Amino acid sequence: MRGKPRETANVGAGLWKGTGMWAWVLFRASGLILVLYLAAHIVITSMGHFGDTYDDLMEIFHHPVAVVLDLCLVAVVLYHALNGVRIILMDFGVGIQQHKIVFWVCMAIAVICFAFFAYVAIDYLVVGSAGGGG
Amino acid sequence: MKAETVATHRGGMWAWLLQRITAILIIVCLAIHLVLTHIFNIGELDYDNVANRLAHAGVIAVDIILLASGIYHALNGLRMVLMDYWFSPRKRAVALSVVLWVIGLVAMGYGTWALWPWIS
Repeated sequence: MRGKPRETANVGAGLWKGTGMWAWVLFRASGLILVLYLAAHIVITSMGHFGDTYDDLMEIFHHPVAVVLDLCLVAVVLYHALNGVRIILMDFGVGIQQHKIVFWVCMAIAVICFAFFAYVAIDYLVVGSAGGGG
Repeated sequence: MKAETVATHRGGMWAWLLQRITAILIIVCLAIHLVLTHIFNIGELDYDNVANRLAHAGVIAVDIILLASGIYHALNGLRMVLMDYWFSPRKRAVALSVVLWVIGLVAMGYGTWALWPWIS
């Protein structure tokens, strides 16, 4: 490489290829999805101001398709959060050389958290069961 | 060793720092928010239940922290992404920042308005 010191931590750790690159791509994609979701979330949730409208709206979220989408959202949030933790650790100089191992440990934690939410959501995935009534 | 710093600081030091601070706030508050909404109160999304939940000062505090840090983190993240593509020239980057601040303040105002019955 040329003379000027680089700002990034590609200190031979391979951060910008393979696992590291895909982690970054997915981090960006999940971040953008979450920006859009946050906008929708603020708009829809604030409809609580309109009383009945809110209850009608929330009825939508009892539908199994909405539950599946919710679970997708949980997965996206967990990915972004746990990979974010890995990035913050690397900001402190922790685990740069071991970034792949740290990545998979973070993903394992994400999977465990996801399993918890998925377990709770199971009842709501079948039409007419627990969640159907609203 | 200087070269071991991972983040690029192109977006500015304060934006970088605030992005980390809001990230940690979001992790903590979002965990509380999700557990309250989807574990303890699952299936209770109607207005009365949500209103009752928001009546607790702690829940409102968590929601306001989430609102503010979520908006900042989201829009600054979007800014970092856009600055990698069409907004890298300084003038465009500044214009982008101004536009995003306006969007962010409007969203914050709107969100606060929505929560106002429980704040006041």
